Amino acid sequence: MSIVARLEEDALAPERELAALVEQARGDGAIVSFVGLARPQSKGGQAITRLVLQHHPSLTLRSLEEIAVAAGERFDVSHVRVVHRCGEIEAGAAIVFAGAASLHRRAAFEAADYLMDRLKTEAIFWKREVGAGGSDWIEPTEADYADRDRWG
Amino acid sequence: MRILFYGRLGEAIGSELEFGAAPGCSVAELRDLLAAERPAIAEALRSKRARTCVGDTLVPDDYRLAAGDTVEFLPPVSGG
Repeated sequence: MSIVARLEEDALAPERELAALVEQARGDGAIVSFVGLARPQSKGGQAITRLVLQHHPSLTLRSLEEIAVAAGERFDVSHVRVVHRCGEIEAGAAIVFAGAASLHRRAAFEAADYLMDRLKTEAIFWKREVGAGGSDWIEPTEADYADRDRWG
Repeated sequence: MRILFYGRLGEAIGSELEFGAAPGCSVAELRDLLAAERPAIAEALRSKRARTCVGDTLVPDDYRLAAGDTVEFLPPVSGG
């Protein structure tokens, strides 16, 4: 079992993270990965130029580690990889990579789903969308909390 | 007492504040004092999803604060 949880201040290359996971997963039968991208539009349809993710100097990385470790303990997976951006993220760029490798596909699918439900609501970040019309803080929706609560 | 604010709280009133709360007051009491003094953040401070952190540990509302504590108020978090 290996767990990777990392905070990236400058850039996140999802293809490199997937390649690293493929390299690690020799002997496994499945890899599932999710890549979250900064949307170019807000829910209200306003154009967004960038996303700003403020983080906490110690709690943020700890929250990523805790969520990744929990996924590794909960599902029958061999490798878990969570890489999250912080700072300023241009629209269209990757915010998060969440991936898992396992002997059989179901565990990897479930682990990736679990990772994202928890990251959306529990990773210690404060998210602000910036566009021509100003900026807005974005918080999880009740649906996001309900998704997280599915896992108990 | 040193108080740090993140997210929308920090944007509204600045990220750091020295505040003369009496040692021994609880997190909930400090929050009420701050909300009264800084109405701009009263609603966000009282969000049920907001959390409070002392010494890098999340603490409950009845946690009693000491004179040298740094208290961090965290509005609702969102990753992904």
